[in-house]
Amino acid sequence: MSPLLSLVRTALRVNFGLSLFRPREILRKKRDLWMIPLFVLGAASLGPILYFYVKIIQVLHGWLVPAGQQAVLLTAAVLLGQLLVLIFGFYYVISAFYFSRDLEILIPLPLTPVQVMLSKFSVILTNEYLTVALLVLPVFISYGVLEGAGVGYWLSAALVYLFLPVIPLAVVGLLVVGLMRVANLSRKKDALIIVGSLVLMTAALGGQVWFSRSAGSSSPDPEAIARSLAAPDGLVRSLGAKFPPSVWATRTMAGGPGGAGWGNAALFFGASVLLFAGLVLAAERLFYRGLLGLGETSARRKTLGREALTGRLSSGSHPVRAVFSRELRLMNRTPIFLLNGVLSVVLIPVIFVLMAKTGGGRSDATQILAAVGSKNPVAAVLASALFMAFSGCLNGTASSTFSREGGQFWISKVIPVRPRDQAKGKLLHSYAVALLGIAAASVVILLTFRPKAAVLLAALAVGAVTSFFLTTVGMMIDLVRPLLNWTNPQKAIKQNFNVLLAVLADLAFFILMFFLVKILGKGLLSGNSLVVAVFILLATLSVAGYRALLAFADRRYPHIEP
Amino acid sequence: MIEIRNVSKSYAKGRVKAVDDLTLTVRPGEIFGFLGPNGAGKTTTIKMIVGLLKPDRGTVVVEGFDAQKDPLRAKAVTTFVPDTPAVYERLTGLEYLNFIGDVYGVPKKDRLARIEKGLEIFELASAVGSPIQSYSHGMKQKIVLIAALLPAPRVMVLDEPMVGLDARSAHHMKTLMRAHCEGGGTLFFSTHIMEVAEKVCDRMAIIHKGRLVAEGTMAELRSLNGTKESLEHIFLELTET
Repeated sequence: MSPLLSLVRTALRVNFGLSLFRPREILRKKRDLWMIPLFVLGAASLGPILYFYVKIIQVLHGWLVPAGQQAVLLTAAVLLGQLLVLIFGFYYVISAFYFSRDLEILIPLPLTPVQVMLSKFSVILTNEYLTVALLVLPVFISYGVLEGAGVGYWLSAALVYLFLPVIPLAVVGLLVVGLMRVANLSRKKDALIIVGSLVLMTAALGGQVWFSRSAGSSSPDPEAIARSLAAPDGLVRSLGAKFPPSVWATRTMAGGPGGAGWGNAALFFGASVLLFAGLVLAAERLFYRGLLGLGETSARRKTLGREALTGRLSSGSHPVRAVFSRELRLMNRTPIFLLNGVLSVVLIPVIFVLMAKTGGGRSDATQILAAVGSKNPVAAVLASALFMAFSGCLNGTASSTFSREGGQFWISKVIPVRPRDQAKGKLLHSYAVALLGIAAASVVILLTFRPKAAVLLAALAVGAVTSFFLTTVGMMIDLVRPLLNWTNPQKAIKQNFNVLLAVLADLAFFILMFFLVKILGKGLLSGNSLVVAVFILLATLSVAGYRALLAFADRRYPHIEP
Repeated sequence: MIEIRNVSKSYAKGRVKAVDDLTLTVRPGEIFGFLGPNGAGKTTTIKMIVGLLKPDRGTVVVEGFDAQKDPLRAKAVTTFVPDTPAVYERLTGLEYLNFIGDVYGVPKKDRLARIEKGLEIFELASAVGSPIQSYSHGMKQKIVLIAALLPAPRVMVLDEPMVGLDARSAHHMKTLMRAHCEGGGTLFFSTHIMEVAEKVCDRMAIIHKGRLVAEGTMAELRSLNGTKESLEHIFLELTET
């Protein structure tokens, strides 16, 4: 086998844990059998979502057929898929190309920079196929079925899907490789990730506003719409005007006016190949130059005198406080953790409001925010509390709290601190991050709706207890099976299955609470008594969650073998 | 004192027996060397002593406390140095030492004296304020060793403690090990370096394929084997497959 193929195969095996995945072993060991119903449940929960997604595609297709504009569905899918790859790709590329620990093993091997880069690229590409599959494939398949498409369509659709992530990933790759070399920030890699990610997030937010403004959702120009509808693939062109590859991809699959399929296929695949070749060329020249020496961290060495040492020595914190301080420091000093935890809880409320303001009148975000600003105080309190809990909890801090320790978990196992006390320290930290999200959401509510003090305070109380309960749930989910063998911090929080499970659990809880409040509000309780009842219920759940977490920590810790 | 009684541990549901019915006693004031080829079960045994792994059978008692039934008290009298110094890279050396001092409840006065002494011996005073991320492998090993000495434990368990240490630090380490045991402490350590074991240990055990194949002082091992050869020779003979 060629070195490149062997390298790519090994990289894929490592990334997806294929060497560890042995179905027979799982069946035999029984200990991991609980995972099977969980996976089945997870897959089954996607069923209704997919069903509704396909239904929406069918309805939209029905609306667009009379105007002959149905191909715009393909444009939208390609555009959204590539946008998704672009946003997530930045994190993936920078961490896989420059900060994964296996680079220390790969660099001394007799491999070219391009081979190493390609192995990383193949892993990211595979991840991206999985990321966009749910979004893109239902559209491609539904379109083909509804149109009764022939072999040519299915073949070209498969090829477009395979090439779909290449353009955005190559663009991101070129940007990152260039940035790492030219900016010469290699000694400040932490600062680079934070600044780069903030730039990207700002660009994404700006892009969201720009797209919605230029789409003219608030005041559509009837003449422009009429012109688009009159042209054979006017909607395709107007939607894809900002990003031509999506138009090329659409015409590759659905053909264009005058049978322009081949020309557009040449454009789409040609652009993909050209950009990819550009990345290979850049990798050959710049990859190792930006990479070598990146692991070196310089520190100013200064001997601490007795006085300085005494001043900086702790006079003996309680173990719970010591664990809390450790968690705080490790989270805030690891860029990937900081971005996904602390910074995201501040950004979520802002993004939410921006989405609501620019996303038209029917989006979920708009409806929740409309309820926050409702004149009915009960609706305003409950919707504000939901918004606060949503902002504080959907960030992965609690559901990765044990996983984040990774290879250092041995320290937690050998120190003479009861597991329940360690869990208390971690709970304090995770809850502090959730409270930060609640505070950010409160500021956004205050500035946007200027609610009455009583409404805001009541919402704060309900939001705080909801967040506390969900924090304990997230921690327990991570404690069941913490992901400790990661080599890249990204895996502990962004690619951690526990984080996804906790988000699903949170969403399920919100839905459950929504229906419960609806039932209670229909005659059983009303006004303030409804808010009080919800608060008491959530407070009870919080106490139960807290107790369950501590008991579970005592029971689970001895069985975790790092 | 460490008492290991009929301890067994296997992986892959009994197919790979890492430790097989091991019984050992390490007495107070004793430096006990634990030797064996790669994969013999040394690290597994050590991990069971410090509570990182649960034995399938048997008991581990540290200073009279059962490591399974009374883990907190057993841990309170024990410190551990693993074979790879995986510590919190984003903390400074001093923050890590403070954390260890806090969780073991070391008073500030003792903490200052012991940290000062450790930093001086291992020449780490200029780096202790910097993030551990910036340390070399040897420096990380040193900070873990200083942390292990900080609580002045009654039992120290060290897995390959000399790996990564320069000659001067290794020499100081041996002196500290001896001082620890002269103060009545117990020291259990694994090593691949036969010369170190021969010079430093009061008693030692050789483990092979999870089973104890020899135990005793250097003289006892020689008489057991009917030879006047070095420990290396005895080791090679006993662990021949």
